[in-house]
Amino acid sequence: MLKISGGFLLGVMAALLLVWSSIGGLMFSERLSPYTVEETTARIQQNIQAAGNGWSISGLRNPAKPIEAEGGNVLPVLLIEACSAQYSGPILKDDGVRFLSLLMPCKISVYKKSDGKVYIGYLNAGMIGSLFGPLVGDIMAKVVVDQQGFLVMDPSKPAPALIIPKTGGESGGASGAEAGC
Amino acid sequence: MSQTKLLFAASLLGAVLAWSTAWGEVPGAARPANLAVPSGSAIPLGESTVDHSKLKELQKNFASGPEVTKACLSCHTEAAKQVQHTKHWTWEYTDPKSGQKLGKKNIINNFCTTSISNEKDCMACHAGYGWKDANFDFTAEANVDCLICHDSTATYRKLPGDAGHPVYERREFPHGSGKFVEAVDLQKVAQSVALPSRSNCGSCHFYGAGGDGTKHGDLDSALKKPGKYLDVHMDAKGLNFTCSTCHATAGHKVSGSRYEMAAALTGPAETRGKAAASPAACQSCHGDKPHKESILHAERLNTHSNKLACQTCHIPQYARDSIGTEISWDWSTATRMGTDGKPFLVKDSAGRRAFDSKKGNFVWDSYVVPEYRWFNGHVSYKTKGERIDPGQIVEINRPEGEAGQADSRIWPFKIHRGKQAYDSENNYLVVVHTAGEDDTALWANFDWQKAIGAGMQTAGMRYSGKFGFVSTEMSWPITHMVAPKNDALGCAQCHRENGRLEGITGIYLPGRDHSYLLDNIGWMVVLLSLLGVLIHGGTRAYLHFKHKG
Repeated sequence: MLKISGGFLLGVMAALLLVWSSIGGLMFSERLSPYTVEETTARIQQNIQAAGNGWSISGLRNPAKPIEAEGGNVLPVLLIEACSAQYSGPILKDDGVRFLSLLMPCKISVYKKSDGKVYIGYLNAGMIGSLFGPLVGDIMAKVVVDQQGFLVMDPSKPAPALIIPKTGGESGGASGAEAGC
Repeated sequence: MSQTKLLFAASLLGAVLAWSTAWGEVPGAARPANLAVPSGSAIPLGESTVDHSKLKELQKNFASGPEVTKACLSCHTEAAKQVQHTKHWTWEYTDPKSGQKLGKKNIINNFCTTSISNEKDCMACHAGYGWKDANFDFTAEANVDCLICHDSTATYRKLPGDAGHPVYERREFPHGSGKFVEAVDLQKVAQSVALPSRSNCGSCHFYGAGGDGTKHGDLDSALKKPGKYLDVHMDAKGLNFTCSTCHATAGHKVSGSRYEMAAALTGPAETRGKAAASPAACQSCHGDKPHKESILHAERLNTHSNKLACQTCHIPQYARDSIGTEISWDWSTATRMGTDGKPFLVKDSAGRRAFDSKKGNFVWDSYVVPEYRWFNGHVSYKTKGERIDPGQIVEINRPEGEAGQADSRIWPFKIHRGKQAYDSENNYLVVVHTAGEDDTALWANFDWQKAIGAGMQTAGMRYSGKFGFVSTEMSWPITHMVAPKNDALGCAQCHRENGRLEGITGIYLPGRDHSYLLDNIGWMVVLLSLLGVLIHGGTRAYLHFKHKG
């Protein structure tokens, strides 16, 4: 009996260890971009604007700026903030999941790594949604579809101009209040 | 503690100290002291012993730049002669190694290509007045432009098309932009002269190849007032170096030319007053053993200076700002018109030029990871008229040097790539008459044949009448935009597979390179050590329990 219980506990611990070590990779995804940081960002912004479903760009942050202001260097990183009141509204109205406002607005990060290549990082909305019941799960499933559309890079289209939203802009400061998220 | 143990510990300590001392120090070479900021940097105007606004010679209403120069020379009698012996004036350099005539006056580069036949535009960056063609008088002292380097008002501007003269009448620039450049007040500028500031040098060197940050990659207008992150020496709130703090100047001869680089200086920091081979080098102030952290770590880093230029680790990326730098210029698409048949412009997502019917396609980037080459300070050039192989990428210039050479180090480079026109029968790069309002200028008539014909005629070169486009590249050593020491490259940036130095040959780089024998010996040592620990620990445990009971 002791051996069975021990084996069971060992199995549980191994499973927990596996989940613990892979949870980061499950929550976030990363993909390579063929364009510069600015062009990748601009193309995603353009896709967001064309996505419909109430999506709008609510901010563009540059988390590197405060570090540069302190005299340090980090490779460029731009954080695109997008919001859809159509999706955020039902979640914000439900007291039970209102804390998920922490994840709003929806963010996509574009950054360069020391290999000189540009990457896109984003939250795995589908996985997050499945953890918080049917309301959030259904909404997040739709967000996932739209999010995939944001990341489509069509080389036949010319490079659009980077959009610097009036609120926030290219800074490390707060932004996005006017977009409703 | 037993006497044997004490003796052993003392021997070990002595060995470590002796080893690190022997490894780290060149006999007789003093470790460089922490140097104070050289006093020549950024002398505030108030510290000058002359108030130029009080000088009688400068009370005139000057009508032209040469008039101001004459006034300057009435006191600074030797200044023009000095300037006329520098590359800022001659735009020419004779390579002592190859005998090649180089300098802007002679070479074809990878950007605007050449100043030949385009002098009226290019000479906006010449320290002189009136160079519009081959007849320019290089001996006339009044043609020397003092103000481009000594203006402190930031109102003295020289525009393309004026053969090096400043703006005498208010003018729209760029043409059709709705932006106007005001006429210069020469009296005010002359009365306000000062030592060159970053803006003075930058008025040309930040804007090389026709745009901010275009050419060098490590020089752009962000350096006028940089933060510490961008350049630890020029940090406007910190050390606040001007260009001439490093590029120490005597008799108007500015040190640290790209044509005469010393890529591998050794020894301690330069002593003041001593004639330095290259006072603009890092080593001039820091010596070749600058690291002073914990002794073993510092010596490990210092030994890297045998193979690496300081810049390799301390400039992890160049163009570290939103201005960025141009990394490609493709002339083959120039003369392409819009759907309305008119020339057009396209900007990239960051607002930088991406296409211009006059010039072709451009690619820009920021925070660019350098490419690395062995470099001994000498650069060989593909000079005009020299044969090329159009089936290969033409190296406009090629940094020389290789592993094992005492004067070579691994250096970071910006490699600018592009395409430019060549004579497809004679197989050499062509001189193109680009700038100007005449009918043969490419930017006026968009006719390659006419523009090449006119350029080649001016250059005195034979043109077959047939041209094509060939892939080219040009290498630019990176040496500005030095990051704070905390942002220097870490070991793993190079000591790994597919790291930064993947393409560097001739050295064994641990982490990147593998030796079957060495690797196996290493693992054997690890395994034997582990085995030793286990046997030792096991034996002690066994004896402990055995004695216990």
